[in-house]
Amino acid sequence: MKTYCKILLLLAAGLVLVAASLSLGTRFIPPWDLAGIITGEPGSVDYTILVKLRLPRVLLAIVIGGALAVSGTVFQAVLKNPLADPYIIGVSGGAALGATAAIVTGAAPGIVAAAAFAGSIAVITIVYLFSKRMRVGSSALILSGIALGFILSAAVLLIYALSRSDQIHRAMLWLMGDLSGARYDMLNLLGCVSLALILAVMAYWKHLDVISMGDRFSRGLGVTDRDVRVLFWAASLLAALSVSLAGVIGFVGLIVPHMMRSVFGPGHLRLVPASAVCGGLFLLVSDTIGRSLTPPFEIPVGVITGFLGGAFFLVFMVRGRWAA
Amino acid sequence: MSIFELHEVNAGYRDVPVLRDLGLTVSDGEFVSVIGPNGAGKSTLVKTLSGDVRPSSGTVLFKGRRLRDYRARVLARELSVVHQAAEALAPFTVYEFIRLGRFPHQDSFVLESDRDREMIARAAETTGVAGLLSRRLTELSGGELQLARIAHALAQNSSVILLDEPVSHLDIQHAVMIMDILWKLNREGATVVTVLHDINIASDYSTRIVGLREGGVFFSGAPAEVLRYDLVEALFGTSCIVLKNPTTGRPFVYPVPGYVQKEGGVT
Repeated sequence: MKTYCKILLLLAAGLVLVAASLSLGTRFIPPWDLAGIITGEPGSVDYTILVKLRLPRVLLAIVIGGALAVSGTVFQAVLKNPLADPYIIGVSGGAALGATAAIVTGAAPGIVAAAAFAGSIAVITIVYLFSKRMRVGSSALILSGIALGFILSAAVLLIYALSRSDQIHRAMLWLMGDLSGARYDMLNLLGCVSLALILAVMAYWKHLDVISMGDRFSRGLGVTDRDVRVLFWAASLLAALSVSLAGVIGFVGLIVPHMMRSVFGPGHLRLVPASAVCGGLFLLVSDTIGRSLTPPFEIPVGVITGFLGGAFFLVFMVRGRWAA
Repeated sequence: MSIFELHEVNAGYRDVPVLRDLGLTVSDGEFVSVIGPNGAGKSTLVKTLSGDVRPSSGTVLFKGRRLRDYRARVLARELSVVHQAAEALAPFTVYEFIRLGRFPHQDSFVLESDRDREMIARAAETTGVAGLLSRRLTELSGGELQLARIAHALAQNSSVILLDEPVSHLDIQHAVMIMDILWKLNREGATVVTVLHDINIASDYSTRIVGLREGGVFFSGAPAEVLRYDLVEALFGTSCIVLKNPTTGRPFVYPVPGYVQKEGGVT
């Protein structure tokens, strides 16, 4: 199949999925009525549900999913490790510690997000300082990220041990990943910053191609440590932003790049935008399932991505379409 | 003009010195083969010349300037390096892989210029991989892959090409193909520096052979000067006979079975 056919197919699937996601939920709104409601009277119940609740949530799912998938794509190339994901250097651990501390002290959602962001930035900075001594991409760096992750989750458990059970429940729900807090003001900020970072990554597509062939190879062609650091920061910030606004959503950043690689090949010119789109759609589908399956209760989106992602992963591997 | 000038270079890994006070000069247009026993420092020498290993002391000059003063991208336009078998293999097509060689010449936002396409086509033509351009690297045989890697290095369009054992694991057909390509490039003006395991291939193609032993230059000269049985025996510690290759007239080294030298003499 020609590449532009694949791209058209992906975009068509995107439109269908967005429409489906806007229709589905506790209250079903027929897809053919969507346009009429959005352009119609602002006062109706359907309008409020669509524009105030579902649309921001749909947009948030797409932005977060895209950010996670692009972050994973970059980490897999830079660390030359097919098992790398956005959380590999411990960003999620830092965010979890920040968010948990804020939640158990009863902070407002905005403060929770800020604390999570501060935690993940702290982790990125520590790992970045490590990388001055260990090469970016070396397994020593990955292992130090994992070690940091252990320390941070121990700290989270310590906070649990000292907290009341209702607070622990709230903190655990946050950890599972949650898009229900979607609001337009957070979307403005997140959307712009994520888009800027994704575009920055796009500008480095040739570097990513060269880097994915190995360290000596890329140095020999003129890729500098500075280039690698730029990519490291861009991928880390994408992960930090999404984790602080939506919690720890697993699997998107790991499997989407792999699936896109087997469809579009290893070249990052196509891989990065394809991962962004497909990551967004994957999270959108997961979230739609999560909030439509057992109304009026919601299943946290991180649980759905875990189930869906794991199943996809296994089917992919068993069918031998694995292109590492 | 000298391409490489090394003065009293010491280099190694952590506490293990490999190159010891090594001095070497490579001039423009030479075809220099580096031979020597395992552990003599051949690969470390290549990594020192490519800038991957920083010497702990001594100077490495490339075209008259200190190697470490070059910007990476500028160096990549003047020096192509073909390392020993690739570290990772992303499943790029052969065409895409050769195009990666154009990286040091490209802007970020241009996919490929006419000049790029021309250089890629020429590199593929020279190495005979024009028929393989749409195949993936992961589907190639060892010989085809090595030809693709040479094509990638040629697309860099540099005047100096540095190789680490380019033919070690190949059948004789591919070995000869690759050495012929290097020889032709050298005739067209490129400077070639390569580590070789096979003394006789080095003899047939090189303008100069450098024998490396214990991290220093043991001998250096034209094949006919240095491939004497006593020098080769001393370098490798194995007895041998040197005859003449009837097709090239160059020295041809036969090891003598059963005569490995121990410390201090022939057993």
